[in-house]
Amino acid sequence: MNAHALPLPHDHGHDAGHGHADGHGHGDGHGHHGHVVLQYQPGLPLSKGKLIMWLFLSTEIMFFAALLGSYVVLRFGAAVWPKPHHVHLSEPIGAMNTFVLICSSVTVVLAFEAARANKGAAAKMWLAITLLLGSVFLGVKAYEYQAKFSHGIYPWKPRGRIYERPDLYYGSAVRARLGEPAIIDELKRIDEAAPGSLPPDQEAAKPKLQLVRKLVASPEQQPFDLAVVADQIMPLPAEGAAHGGGHGPHGLNDVFPWLKLPIVIPGGNMWASTYFLMTGFHAIHVAVGLLVFAILLGYRIGPKNAGLIENAGLYWHFVDLVWIFLFPLLYLF
Amino acid sequence: MSDHGHSSDPGAHGPVTRAGESADDALGHPPTGHAAGHDGHDEHGHGGIFKYLLVFAALCFLTGMSFFTYSSAWPWRNEPQVGWAFMMAVSCTKAMLVVLFFMHVFWEANWKYVLTIPAAMMAVFLTLMLVPDVGMRNRMVSQERALHMARTSDVKLLERAAEAAADAAH
Repeated sequence: MNAHALPLPHDHGHDAGHGHADGHGHGDGHGHHGHVVLQYQPGLPLSKGKLIMWLFLSTEIMFFAALLGSYVVLRFGAAVWPKPHHVHLSEPIGAMNTFVLICSSVTVVLAFEAARANKGAAAKMWLAITLLLGSVFLGVKAYEYQAKFSHGIYPWKPRGRIYERPDLYYGSAVRARLGEPAIIDELKRIDEAAPGSLPPDQEAAKPKLQLVRKLVASPEQQPFDLAVVADQIMPLPAEGAAHGGGHGPHGLNDVFPWLKLPIVIPGGNMWASTYFLMTGFHAIHVAVGLLVFAILLGYRIGPKNAGLIENAGLYWHFVDLVWIFLFPLLYLF
Repeated sequence: MSDHGHSSDPGAHGPVTRAGESADDALGHPPTGHAAGHDGHDEHGHGGIFKYLLVFAALCFLTGMSFFTYSSAWPWRNEPQVGWAFMMAVSCTKAMLVVLFFMHVFWEANWKYVLTIPAAMMAVFLTLMLVPDVGMRNRMVSQERALHMARTSDVKLLERAAEAAADAAH
């Protein structure tokens, strides 16, 4: 029992068994003259709410470490991994989202400080700005997801429209898609369109479409022919092409959105799985944080519940922390 | 547990927390008063807004630094490992700033190590345990996987096709 007792500075070095926790000590813990005065501290020196939040964050550290760790191991163990611009990731958009999250972290601490200083209105204003910034982050993320989906990049089993290599399987998948009745009708419409009746980009892409149809139907296909097919459908910008700020040249899938032909992104399936898993879980965490802030906005805010804002802030900073690692790993590596 | 192991005058005997009582019971006591001695961070005056703004500026600068690796001015474009190491260093610095100052860990008592160090160690072990089976999965693969998996030669083939298309366009 004595092991739990903490001697205070005026301990005279004897009778340390008094003031202990088993009820046999000297009543109020002060003891008699010359006796040791011991104090008992049953837990960690922080509030229950904060302790629970930190315990939760410890599990979150391991949760996201598993996701990020798996990503790193998968990425560096892969024979080929797509470059960010191969999968239509825009680095400036990622950097902007990073900036938005950093700003929201600052507004949360400002809300906490305002609440401690009994400035309820200011605290609510900072919380509302945090809510707004978090919503901007999610909005940008939704836009990015939409861009991926529109290019046919999403995880699916065994694959979505992503093929790993421009091989015979890919060629037959393109041929099968071009042979679907709805696509045949559309192709007929394009073939029979009077010159000048199609939009300029579609008019310009018509020869590419003819080339793809010819190459996939050819009985003497060579691997390079299928690479040309893949390039016409969705080109992979060469290294450095994305530094011009664009997403590289447009492919047939962009010009004719109804075409939805299979695409080739070496390493793209694993990339899609890890990207959507990590950013999806992160986005869920952002959404939960926003919900908490929205609930907090309904409260009267002051020093008495500054602890609530601090705990919500701890969670929010953690969400920011995860993005700090996700951004370079996904957008810049 | 003691039912009388508390002092009638906690202030005179240093920090005392009774069972069932939060140290900085935020709902009951403003942190600036009773809680200041317990949580530790208030007495250091960490609430300086200037400090937060300084951290914010540092974070923005560091984000700019990692974005710099993407720009054409980055000198080590042909050695991606340099960029990776640089970005990880920048990310770790940013993470430290957020944890230490925004999450107030800098001012917290030593309990912070109890919660963060084991979790961080588990995170590292977890990743290392994936290396043999997942990281080295391509050292020996089935014929079926070898048939379908992407290779560097596929990327080169696609790049050649892109170059040919660009030449034809010109």
